[in-house]
Amino acid sequence: MSRNVCDEGDDERDYGEEEDEEDDECFDYDYYNATDYDSELYECERNKDSEHFEYECLQIEQVERLLNESVESICSSIGINPSLAKVLLYTHKWDIDRIKEKHKRDSFQLLTDARIKSPRNSRTVDTANRASSYYIQCNICLQSSSAEKCASLSCGHQFCKECWCSHLEVQVTQGITIGIECMAQGCHILVPEDFALNILTKTSFREKYQQFAFAAYVKSHPELRYCPGTNCSVIIRAKENKSKRVICKHCKTSFCFKCGGDYHAPTNCETIKFWLTKCADDSETANYISAHTKDCPKCHICIEKNGGCNHMQCYSCKHDFCWMCLGDWKTHGSEYYECSRYKENPNIASESVHAQAREALKKYLFYYERWENHARSLRLEAQTLEQIKTRIHEKVMANKGTWIDWQYLLDAAALLAKCRYTLQYTYPYAYYMESGPRKQLFEYQQAQLEAEIENLSWKIEHAETTDRGDLENQMDIAEKRRATLLKDFLSS
Amino acid sequence: MAEPVPGISAIPDESNARYFHVVVAGPEGSPFEGGVFKLELFLPEEYPMSAPKVRFMTKIYHPNIDKLGRICLDILKDKWSPALQIRTVLLSIQALLSAPNPDDPLANDVAEQWKINEGEAIKTAREWTRLYAMSG
Repeated sequence: MSRNVCDEGDDERDYGEEEDEEDDECFDYDYYNATDYDSELYECERNKDSEHFEYECLQIEQVERLLNESVESICSSIGINPSLAKVLLYTHKWDIDRIKEKHKRDSFQLLTDARIKSPRNSRTVDTANRASSYYIQCNICLQSSSAEKCASLSCGHQFCKECWCSHLEVQVTQGITIGIECMAQGCHILVPEDFALNILTKTSFREKYQQFAFAAYVKSHPELRYCPGTNCSVIIRAKENKSKRVICKHCKTSFCFKCGGDYHAPTNCETIKFWLTKCADDSETANYISAHTKDCPKCHICIEKNGGCNHMQCYSCKHDFCWMCLGDWKTHGSEYYECSRYKENPNIASESVHAQAREALKKYLFYYERWENHARSLRLEAQTLEQIKTRIHEKVMANKGTWIDWQYLLDAAALLAKCRYTLQYTYPYAYYMESGPRKQLFEYQQAQLEAEIENLSWKIEHAETTDRGDLENQMDIAEKRRATLLKDFLSS
Repeated sequence: MAEPVPGISAIPDESNARYFHVVVAGPEGSPFEGGVFKLELFLPEEYPMSAPKVRFMTKIYHPNIDKLGRICLDILKDKWSPALQIRTVLLSIQALLSAPNPDDPLANDVAEQWKINEGEAIKTAREWTRLYAMSG
């Protein structure tokens, strides 16, 4: 933001100079130039949106075509069959350039590294076995069968096709396809697709093999990820393997492209994994300690929170207070909002181990309570949305405005959910942050965001009494705060 | 039948040909010397595409064998090859008795003792062999 303001300042200075010169032509020229500059700036802002991410949602057939293109490229440039090309691509994470480069340097090394060719000279085994007799003894079932009933990979280890088939069936049943190795002890040569499909006689196993192999290809491809939505077969493709938000066009599931879990900005994949495991371990204690109800700080009546807003008004004594800190709401409205900031006890070093453990638990509970509170608020958001719809219906029926007049309330609710979602994920981030000026800045921005979200929530719930302009202004502020926080702290 | 291996015998059960009663003699020069160890060996339906299941029935003090007699041996798990036979599996188990590997432990307490004080661990192993593997 600061850069933006600065640029505008430059613009104004330019204008001033032009006016001094009083040259009409030159002014016109610069006038157009300035608009160009503006649109450029706009474009620049778009790119700077820290959540922006390019991706596409593909169907299985499209992905098959995509993978086949890579396979064909390798086939034509290296001169091997498609099945071996697939093994190469799988072992090299679909990096075509790296395969070509390795091929140029040492093609034999490339094939042995990918476990296509045996590093030992395989020819001798092969010819020895073939020359011995027309009949070959299978080392597994110990029965002799004719050479055409036997098969071997490039390593030359001959086994009868029946043994090969049951080996492949057992592996496929365990979900293994591309990683199936030769049956000989200590031999790690991989079974390529054409060999496997040639050996597998039952249609059910052939289909299973193809299905599992395709899934393995997708999982090994850095640009592809299966949509985690239930029964959704969409595959997401993105050029960059980054932890950014992806929304499946088919089932609308929103998730992180890098880890496949729920979207978690500004926290990164590793941190959120730590946090979620921690919460899964400790949640029972935390649940026990932070009960679902709180007492009104003034009249001590028991209150259950049943809406998204943290600005509470006691039903019985009309006292306005903050659900988070139980302090008077008056201190929250305009001034410094402090209840998202955890105050570390400065004397911690001098206290006993027991006290430190208590402090650690207290710190965790502090962040967990806020994390859980926003998660709960988000769950209640669906309820709030229903209420808004009923309210709009009532308004329209009572001839207070038309349908279109009230649609902005729905937009506001959607924005509120989006902001609250980000706010929820700021707490794990803060929990794992080291104390220091950066954490202070983070907590400041977090507090600002939280304050604006609570304002927005309150205004939406009381939309009849607040005017539309005010609400829309509040939406803009909240979204700006969210974007600023992400821009400053979302590591790319 | 191939030539018998000295110190190892495997006799199929009368009621189930997949089940073998195995006896392995403690290798010379190891703390298990003089002991006679009983094992059970079961061939799963997928054998030889899947590894046989083998377990010590006699109590033994060894870093790669736990209280229940389960064995930590790579060829019985991910390194299984259909080309391996019952004979080779039992030979590998006998070799494991000669060369315990405390760096890849199954019984953690035993492995730790083996690393901290090998002399004491070997003494315990001898004692256990005398107590449990020499009675009959």
